[in-house]
Amino acid sequence: MEQLMRQSRSQRALGRLLPTLVLIASAIFFAFPLLAMARFAFQNLQVIDLGWNNLFEKWSFSSVTASFSDDFFAEALTLSLKLAVGTALFTLGLLVPTAVWVHLRLPKARVFVEFLTILPYVIPAIALVAGIVVVKPHARWFLNSDYSLIPFYVVLALPFTYRSIDTGLRAIDLKVLVEASRSLGSTWIATLFRVVIPNLRAAIISSTFLTVAVVLGEYTISDVLLKRTFPSFMAQYRQSDPRGGYALAILALLGTTLLFVAIGVLSKSRSTRPQQVSRSQENEILV
Amino acid sequence: MAIVNIPPLGEEGAVAQATAPSHFWRTPIDNIRNKKSLAWFGLVPFFLFLILFLLIPAISVFAQALHDEDGSFGFSAMREAISGQNLDAFIFSLKFSAGAAFVGVIFGGLLAYAAATATRPRWLRNIVSSFSGVAANMGGLPLAFAFLSLLGRQGLGTKILNAFGWDLYAGDFKLGEVSGLITVYSYFNIPLMVLVTLPAIDGLKTSWREACANLGGSAWTYWRRVGLPILAPSLLGGFLLLFANSFSAYATARQLTDNSKIVPLRISFFLGGDISIGEDAVGYSLAAWMIILMGISMAAYWLLRRRAERWSNS
Repeated sequence: MEQLMRQSRSQRALGRLLPTLVLIASAIFFAFPLLAMARFAFQNLQVIDLGWNNLFEKWSFSSVTASFSDDFFAEALTLSLKLAVGTALFTLGLLVPTAVWVHLRLPKARVFVEFLTILPYVIPAIALVAGIVVVKPHARWFLNSDYSLIPFYVVLALPFTYRSIDTGLRAIDLKVLVEASRSLGSTWIATLFRVVIPNLRAAIISSTFLTVAVVLGEYTISDVLLKRTFPSFMAQYRQSDPRGGYALAILALLGTTLLFVAIGVLSKSRSTRPQQVSRSQENEILV
Repeated sequence: MAIVNIPPLGEEGAVAQATAPSHFWRTPIDNIRNKKSLAWFGLVPFFLFLILFLLIPAISVFAQALHDEDGSFGFSAMREAISGQNLDAFIFSLKFSAGAAFVGVIFGGLLAYAAATATRPRWLRNIVSSFSGVAANMGGLPLAFAFLSLLGRQGLGTKILNAFGWDLYAGDFKLGEVSGLITVYSYFNIPLMVLVTLPAIDGLKTSWREACANLGGSAWTYWRRVGLPILAPSLLGGFLLLFANSFSAYATARQLTDNSKIVPLRISFFLGGDISIGEDAVGYSLAAWMIILMGISMAAYWLLRRRAERWSNS
């Protein structure tokens, strides 16, 4: 008996050892690339010359400030921000009415619509842009404009954004809210803007942040179509000044991380609601 | 063992709504619901949008791919896209994508399990799941830059490993080859796997483990007979998702390497255009094959996810 207990205790210790090792190894694997990039961007010292004695020398933000003064920096950032705003508005204008409609009138279409929203995984950005190149001669008036990227970015963000709005709708009693509003004499438009949307605030904000993150990081389409978005600028700037390019990448990462932290905070405050559907709490940014 | 069959969440919700007791008064919603066929018209804007900006480009790719050199309909370009150098590219891409997915499933699954079962410190699980949310979406340029500065020829990690007597570049390691790509893609694959499996691991009930122990089963028996079979659809689905994710990644690969054996890069070289007329159909055929491959993986993923949801909500 005693031997059995001892055995199970040592077994349990072994059982804890493996997860701990996995956690430590993961921490190293995920932290090191970022640390290496930060060092490269902010320390003006070749790796070959690096040693314990000069580890803390020559750190500065000069690489970032230099990249800010590049002629195309402001232009590229402005374009990407405009695209982000446009994509976010387009997404909401298209998806909120569609998702509300599906929940109210066509619950049986829910699985079908959800399936449609993961189609961008089947047709990845590189295949989509191949199609755009084919269509281009027939729609030059549209595709020559930088803003023609907006609908395609809406497509790329679709799996994330639809899911986030859908989750928000599942968490409220939409039918009762709408019936109450309608029977009190409100119009459909007023119901949408004064009842449904305020109740979806958290979902709308998080889907907007997801959109912004997708747009600010999108490179495939803008690279092939030679559009001067922020990621394209970053790639090009790295050719002439690697440290500046890496510094810009760190800034972009910081920005995106802040957006995702905000989404995390928002979805947590939402999950305190009683009717929250549990499956969606963790992975709302997924397929 | 009697297992209660829980219907998948999505359908259950739909059934609940459809069979909700109707009120004795007729609401405006019920009135309109009677015109069932009309309800589909509400989805017209959404369908139109998808047709214009997703389906037409996709169909155009196939239309171009199915052209023979003389412009008539035919499969020669599709055939050429999976022979010779193009076949090498597909094999190379399949190899590193499957490898990256495998590594992602193993370490992502372990990490999710470690985070889900850790009791101390309490914030650990939250940190892992929030960080995964960020890192799973961290493809693209920053990721490529980070690994170039860590494991490039002049990278910090390369230097550190050198100090320990391991010359990374002595063998055939390169960021643009199989081993390098697997390493880099693991950075977003592992967190993605964590996000996919955490709910499934939460679905494993302690009572099952206790039941197994009471019947004399060891930890090994539990995992082999109960835990892994239940997790299998999630793990397999995760593998397919990670595979598709790795196969279609462009931005990261583009910055890491010029290796034209990576199918997305190869497509972009064809699109970029220093090729003779007639050759471009091969580029579109590559894209068409890619869509077919992604379609198969995602369809299987979709089915497996439905299967896995049986256990993840209760």
